[in-house]
Amino acid sequence: MSYKKPDNKDLEAMIGIVGKNYATANDAICASYLSKSVMGLESQIPDIVIRPKYPEEIRKILVYCSQEKIPVSPISGGLSGGFACPLIRPGGVVLDLSRMDRIIEIDTENRIAIIEPGVTLGQLWAYMHKHTPEYCPPIPDGAPPSSTVMGDAIDRGFSLVTSSMGPQGDIFMAAEVVIPRGDILYTGSWALPTAKPFYKYGIGPDLWSTLMGSQGTMGVITKVAIKIFPHPEHKTVVVWGMSNPQDMQNLTWQIGNQEFGIAHHCVMVQGGNYPLVMTRWPKEKVPHDYEFYKEIGFSRWWMNFEVWAQTQEELEYTEKRIDEFAKKFMESKECKDPKAIIKQELHPKQIASRLKKPNKIAIPYGYWEAGFLFITWYTPWKDCAEFAEMYNKVLEDHGIAPVMWIASIERCRQAICMPIICFDSTKQEDFEKVQEINRITTEYSIKRGWLNYRPDPYIHAPMMYSQAGTYLKYLREVKKMFDPNFIMHPGRLMLP
Amino acid sequence: MERLEVMKKELYRCIHCKACKFTYSGDPSREGVGEYKGVLYEGMVPSCPSGLEYGWESFWNAGRMWIARCIMEGDLEFSENVRDTIMQCITCGMCEVQCENKVPTVDIIESLRAACYFSGVPLIEKHELVSKLVVERNNPYGGDKDKRFEWVKENGLEEYLDKKGAKIAYYVGCTASYRQINIAVATCKIFKRLGIDFALVTKEVCCGSPFFRIGRTDISQDLMNTNLELFKKYEMVLFSCAGCYRTFTVDYPKWIKKELPFKTNHAFELISDMVKDGKIKFKENPELKGKVVTYHDPCHTGRHFYIDTQRKIIDESKNLIFDLRKLNKWKEEWFEKPRIIIRALPGVKFNEMYRIHENSFCCGAGGGVRAGYPDFSLKTSSLRLDEAEAVGADFMLTECPFCWRNLDDANTMYNHGIPVYGILELIDKYDLIAD
Ligand SMILES: Cc1cc2nc3c(=O)[nH]c(=O)nc-3n(C[C@H](O)[C@H](O)[C@H](O)COP(=O)(O)OP(=O)(O)OC[C@H]3O[C@@H](n4cnc5c(N)ncnc54)[C@H](O)[C@@H]3O)c2cc1C
Ligand code: SF4
Ligand code: SF4
Repeated sequence: MSYKKPDNKDLEAMIGIVGKNYATANDAICASYLSKSVMGLESQIPDIVIRPKYPEEIRKILVYCSQEKIPVSPISGGLSGGFACPLIRPGGVVLDLSRMDRIIEIDTENRIAIIEPGVTLGQLWAYMHKHTPEYCPPIPDGAPPSSTVMGDAIDRGFSLVTSSMGPQGDIFMAAEVVIPRGDILYTGSWALPTAKPFYKYGIGPDLWSTLMGSQGTMGVITKVAIKIFPHPEHKTVVVWGMSNPQDMQNLTWQIGNQEFGIAHHCVMVQGGNYPLVMTRWPKEKVPHDYEFYKEIGFSRWWMNFEVWAQTQEELEYTEKRIDEFAKKFMESKECKDPKAIIKQELHPKQIASRLKKPNKIAIPYGYWEAGFLFITWYTPWKDCAEFAEMYNKVLEDHGIAPVMWIASIERCRQAICMPIICFDSTKQEDFEKVQEINRITTEYSIKRGWLNYRPDPYIHAPMMYSQAGTYLKYLREVKKMFDPNFIMHPGRLMLP
Repeated sequence: MERLEVMKKELYRCIHCKACKFTYSGDPSREGVGEYKGVLYEGMVPSCPSGLEYGWESFWNAGRMWIARCIMEGDLEFSENVRDTIMQCITCGMCEVQCENKVPTVDIIESLRAACYFSGVPLIEKHELVSKLVVERNNPYGGDKDKRFEWVKENGLEEYLDKKGAKIAYYVGCTASYRQINIAVATCKIFKRLGIDFALVTKEVCCGSPFFRIGRTDISQDLMNTNLELFKKYEMVLFSCAGCYRTFTVDYPKWIKKELPFKTNHAFELISDMVKDGKIKFKENPELKGKVVTYHDPCHTGRHFYIDTQRKIIDESKNLIFDLRKLNKWKEEWFEKPRIIIRALPGVKFNEMYRIHENSFCCGAGGGVRAGYPDFSLKTSSLRLDEAEAVGADFMLTECPFCWRNLDDANTMYNHGIPVYGILELIDKYDLIAD
């Protein structure tokens, strides 16, 4: 597929649509959008950046770019790092959607918020904290405050309610999507102009699902209705420690498997191993020996259960039940190392800090050396320990700290497993090492039937889609239907 | 480019997470003062004046870090476009204190500017002008070299000119010498009243701050060397300007790669310690009774010292998990210093703005922005005054003549009705020291 590098005439056309203050080909401005971190390590500088405000402007931009065959990549918060940037040359147009930052409606009766794509976690959290403190938005726990609620959900992320309520993509109820063909499509019940956004499958069959996880390759979402949730004041964090990932997996499953009651109160269930603590500091400025972390109260592995409840009794009951499950598990044959199953008593300040949303907890992994990469996989819950052991071994074999974060989705139906690869991005050989790790682990994972969460276009997507030929064939047809000239985020996924 | 190369690993720690777009970026549910003029002073609030003004990613810190990275990787060349983007940063450091990866954003910006200039891209016209003036006249305002201490005679302070035997020197700086003479006079009078034996060093030259910031590190180093030669015979040098104080205390040691031969202190530290020890008492002035004051922490005395202390702790530490806790204790004491004075003033009410201490919103004057981009600079000051309005302030206090100048100009231009004073200036003007 060949694309046109936009020229002055194209810039003029863009200026004609959004005005001269909101379209530029200034090379310094274009370069500032680049990111080669967090997720995608490869990305390109765009040729033009546009900051539209209205769907109609985006519609005109897409129609023009489609005619001219200019690539378009949408960025809402840009916190998926390199994944939001253009991937091919010419970089084409980047749509910086940060001006589309209106919180249009918070409807507590129907538990819906209607927002534009540029609404950040920090912004929505502060707004609801002020105006509707009894409700909160389902924001990701660890994503920085500048990422967007919409971006996280369309990316199928992990939020503060995912362990209890299900995948983050499920929080969408309806969306307004600008399609490169020149239409504005309404999904969910919004397909019917008179309907409120109360039913996500709309008038059926559901077109929305084709946009989930599309990483900007189908169209541009300009407005969404998302679920909001009660924000009770009774909250705590219960932590159980253990020595190995199997015990972490199996104890947690006991609780998730209850499905009702306490399983629902555990809104966020996430854990990992002690290098998660260690690698948030510079490599040469902290002890590497586990004994140090043991002394300051960390088990080798642990699981955090963040509990939200309407009443104090409910909260205490949930904590008591989690503890009972842990004790029972300790005595069971399934437990590999009963002596290591220990409740970690948290100081109230530690609890308060863990309850903070949004937070900056995942940012300092760049501090260990100079950069990091999240590589995320979905596995059935009962496979997550195997995933962790396999991955950590490969990391250690390559001289990289074995940092593993694992969380439950929908009461241990699935696991989201995320090794954090802390490497030195100033060194080319480290980049190569990371890709080598990626290849080895992807091969293993695909054989085991695990799914990559945000597939990169070099290793994950080709290896995964090559096993799913018919699916890919139809996906391409769907793409062609929305985007006949393949201008949307070319190269991302395995789509042209 | 060499300095940038040295910081490569620190620069590459930037993951483009944009947490630096927010003040209190780790405190989403922070209680505040509510909504005022469309800004919600609660939880996280946008942080960067330049990002707020221009919107494009390149005007927020994260974008600038990636411009630096693109330059280092050869994906972008220095040009007037690059210069115009990186110059409109106030080097306030708000972004740096938000960063969990401890990216030294201000040092990176300053090094990038220097590299841009030395690569052959000319300075903008206004920066060119101040550079020329300082070389010719030792000050960037174009004031006559020989008239630097003219205000001394008018105020009967001649006895302090190059005073023999004094072990303490007061470095006045260019802004207080040529523009905010009120600050220089008030500082001297208070020192006199407190019996401090000090000298004014008539040959002092600009501290070099603006030139370290805009990338003319050749000029700033010349100025630094002259000052170091002049002041080396003193045991202590006192300051009334946040920028000069920062430049002597933070920049000079970095450039000479050793400690200064004298101690440095800002006047407010000295007064604060005396208030704390009960050596100074204040009396009420009926004109101030019931008035609400608020305090603006200058970036140069507040946040930049915080960043410098943090860096020293990190450099010396072998186990940062424990050692970084020391910073909190230091921080509490440091930011309390000016507040000790304000709280001791009888009859006035002290209301804090929302963004304070290391999270203080910049006045908009620094980094060469006041000289280079006056409209943006004053708009930023006006945003700060909005914040003061939100807490019902009648006066704003600060301890930097440069902040003073910008805030006061914005106060007039945007009709905020909030006069600005230096702390010492207020004490002098309203005769607040009890006998
Ligand atoms: C330190 C750190 C911690 C993180 N922690 C978490 C976490 O706890 N949970 C979690 O789920 N994620 C986490 N993430 C990942 C990231 O924050 C989320 O993916 C992010 O919220 C995505 O939102 P965004 O607005 O930044 O998306 P962007 O990066 O702007 O976009 C994401 C993708 O969607 C496309 N896109 C953007 N806007 C549109 C649009 N309007 N229409 C169509 N396509 C669009 C982009 O092209 C891109 O491919 C973390 C990231 C970082 C850096
Ligand atoms: S400077 Fe720090 S806070 Fe800002 S984007 Fe980079 S890593 Fe994030
Ligand atoms: S130093 Fe201040 S003005 Fe410059 S990028 Fe950082 S926050 Fe913005």
